[in-house]
Amino acid sequence: MRRAYSFLARLLAQPRSWFRAVSRRGRLEAEMEAELLLHLESLEADLVRAGYSRAEAARRARIELGSAVVHKDGMRASLGLRWWDGLLADVRYGLRTLRRSLGFTSMAVLSLGLAIGATATIFSVAKQLLYERLPVPHAADLRLLAWTANDKRGAVHSIWGDYAVLPDGRATSTAFSYPVFQQLRKENRGLQDLFAYCLLGGNATIHGSARQVMGAMVSGNYYADLEVQPILGRGITPEDDAKPGQGAVVVISYGLWEREYGKSPSVLGQVIRVNGIPLTIVGVNPREFTSANDVQTAGDVFVPLSMQPVIRPMPGLVQPLFDQELWWVVVMGRIKPGVSDATAQAGLDAQLAAAVYATMPVKKDEEVPRIDLRDGSRGLFTQERAFAKPMAVLMTLVGLVLLLACANIANLMLARGTQRQREVSVRLALGAGRARILRQMLVESLTLAAMGGALGLVIAYFGRNALPRMIENSWEPVRIHVHFDWGVFGFTSAVTMLTGILFGLAPALAAARYDVNHGLKENTKTTSRRRKGLGGGVLVGLQMALSTLLVIGAGLFLRTLAGLSAVDVGFRTDHLLLLEVNPSRTQYPPGKDVALHERLEAAFAAVPGVQAVSPSGIVYISHSGMQRGFVPEGKDPNAPDLSEHYNIVGNNFFATMGIRMVAGRAFGSQDTATSVKVGVINESLARARFPNQNPIGRRFSISTDASDGYKGRVMIQIVGVCADTRYSSLRDAAPPQFFLPYMQRSEVGVMSYAIRTTLPLEAVVPSLRHAAQQIDPDLPLG
Amino acid sequence: VGDDKQLDLLQGTLDLLILKAVSLGPLHGYGVLLRIQQISGQALVIQQGSLYPALYRLEHQGAIASDWGESDNNRKAKFYRLTTAGRMRLDEETVKWNRMVGTMGAILLAEPEGA
Repeated sequence: MRRAYSFLARLLAQPRSWFRAVSRRGRLEAEMEAELLLHLESLEADLVRAGYSRAEAARRARIELGSAVVHKDGMRASLGLRWWDGLLADVRYGLRTLRRSLGFTSMAVLSLGLAIGATATIFSVAKQLLYERLPVPHAADLRLLAWTANDKRGAVHSIWGDYAVLPDGRATSTAFSYPVFQQLRKENRGLQDLFAYCLLGGNATIHGSARQVMGAMVSGNYYADLEVQPILGRGITPEDDAKPGQGAVVVISYGLWEREYGKSPSVLGQVIRVNGIPLTIVGVNPREFTSANDVQTAGDVFVPLSMQPVIRPMPGLVQPLFDQELWWVVVMGRIKPGVSDATAQAGLDAQLAAAVYATMPVKKDEEVPRIDLRDGSRGLFTQERAFAKPMAVLMTLVGLVLLLACANIANLMLARGTQRQREVSVRLALGAGRARILRQMLVESLTLAAMGGALGLVIAYFGRNALPRMIENSWEPVRIHVHFDWGVFGFTSAVTMLTGILFGLAPALAAARYDVNHGLKENTKTTSRRRKGLGGGVLVGLQMALSTLLVIGAGLFLRTLAGLSAVDVGFRTDHLLLLEVNPSRTQYPPGKDVALHERLEAAFAAVPGVQAVSPSGIVYISHSGMQRGFVPEGKDPNAPDLSEHYNIVGNNFFATMGIRMVAGRAFGSQDTATSVKVGVINESLARARFPNQNPIGRRFSISTDASDGYKGRVMIQIVGVCADTRYSSLRDAAPPQFFLPYMQRSEVGVMSYAIRTTLPLEAVVPSLRHAAQQIDPDLPLG
Repeated sequence: VGDDKQLDLLQGTLDLLILKAVSLGPLHGYGVLLRIQQISGQALVIQQGSLYPALYRLEHQGAIASDWGESDNNRKAKFYRLTTAGRMRLDEETVKWNRMVGTMGAILLAEPEGA
């Protein structure tokens, strides 16, 4: 016990004493000097008292005490300062050596800095995109509910949310219907309380000026379940979320509070308008809170889900909260302690099936969705699908570049080692230990690595946002701000140390193996002899191999890029300008929005320099899409749903986009709201649904779950067949597709305008904006 | 300086002597030397130079601590005192030393068998 105590006391005392000695070195030296001087003087005084003459006493005292230099050295050694002093001397010496060969040093630091910087940049982006958790307490407990079902025969027909088809042909989504959410919440045993949200985008009017905001509509238990405490006011409560259309309150983000209200506490109780609806601010989120949806971007406004019918009405649906068909809320919850994911998933699966049968009609052939319980600690984590593979490839590539930089510098250092052979031989001959030489060389390479690492850190700091900017496209800006943190700093430091050791070890070992006799001889025929060991041969081989690998990799990458830009998308992509118009639903209810788009289309077409204009519901190659059941006349409309991609377009769409008509006609001025409903299909759809027949003149109906003007299986006549185009992605082949004119619908909502013009962007955009403002000054153009 | 009456210090005993000396009250470096010589009746000779590395080592290990104060002749001096850890170590080493002395004594007193 006592032994352990004294051992522990020593263990604690030594580092403290060492640190004190190192940090207050000047004072330590002065104290040592003073202590020895006092000793000398006391001894001298005693000798004088003993009867010696002053001069004799001083002489004897000095002899008796001995050399102060030797004593001080012993005292320093007692404090464990000897290796530290040696290290400092090595660093000083190393820096002097590096300064003497500036060319070598700058080359090495530059290439190392670039390699380390690239590695750290990719790492920081990857860390934030793929590994960062939601900024809420115990994020690891969060689970995300998703489901899978047969793509063609699923029981879920309308989804407002994400939807993806997996490689095995099954479809997956994270959207649930509100009644199913309610029932799951009631029945669920494996998770704690379930909460739900739906993303909300829109226009907010703050202090009288309009801006675009992102946010979420959240269930009343959202804040409580996430354990997020607003820094001001309160969160959304179950009372807010009690009645559809009511609960006009909003919690705003820290960022919005800072930008718009200067962090004033009087923000509580103020009113902002979101999509035209006045909402009272009741709280401000903590600075770090983004949302349950993702880690990268903070939602600006959080409102109760109950506000959905007024703040984000869906086309054709009065109260979708209670609509049984539409699946639209994301459901999350925390796993109960001690419950395994498999158990929770099995329980939820059974409850989901029960909830589906209880809340919506399921046809005989249709498959009820099955629960797929996912990790929710990173939110919806949609970025994994997009970024996981590219990030892994990039990490590997920059790792190889770093390795190559190490090999290059190791080779340079070996070459320099030849020049330094004499210097090392002299030091060895003077009695320096081989360990000391080894350390000297390693210190030099680590110093070099540290300089490279510092440069790399600077590069990573400024480069961290370059990558997200490179991968964003013109339709959907990636709103990712990569922050810089200690994890990145630690990673960079570790990489730096590793590279320093990696490229320093070979030259250091080579130096320590020098033969003193050879090195001291005037002529240096020994060069070839020295390089026999772990010398240039291996390194040059490594360099060649790595370079080859990188060149091949880069070549393949370019080839893919060239291949993608050479893809024939089926329409003309040049001189095309895109803008989105999102009319507020309160100002433009169904019917009025169609009229608005008609006026806008005409106004844009009249702008000088504009050759052609057409609005469309879907912008191609932007990873968005719409599907709808397509039933040719005479086929059973109750057969398992065979849905197809479609687009809502203007009359000029095919001309504007440069899509060739293969047969029949395109839409024209004869197609009006009151004329016969018409449609155009593409070649793939004609082949798939009307094999060996002329589809022109044939009729079809579409599945209706919204009153968008095609109620009650209205027949639509095919008037034309157009060429195939790519739809949502460059990588996927052109799918079957049909087109409907927006003029024949009762409502359309958001439309994107494709505008063909030869004028430069900056010349035509102000005129377009002006044209839009003539019609409605509050209309936001995106 | 070596005198016939004086004993050379056994290896490793200097630390124990210093701990004992400062256990009787705080001392500066020269004072430690004087006290050891005084207690031993001038029988022990200490290499003056080896005293300071030993003091610094003990302080580094936390067995003694130091404060700056006034010496007898009104000079600033560094006074060493025993810490709790040092007190334990002194007790421990004292027990060890006594056991060693006993054992050594017994060995040295041994008579040839059957003599």
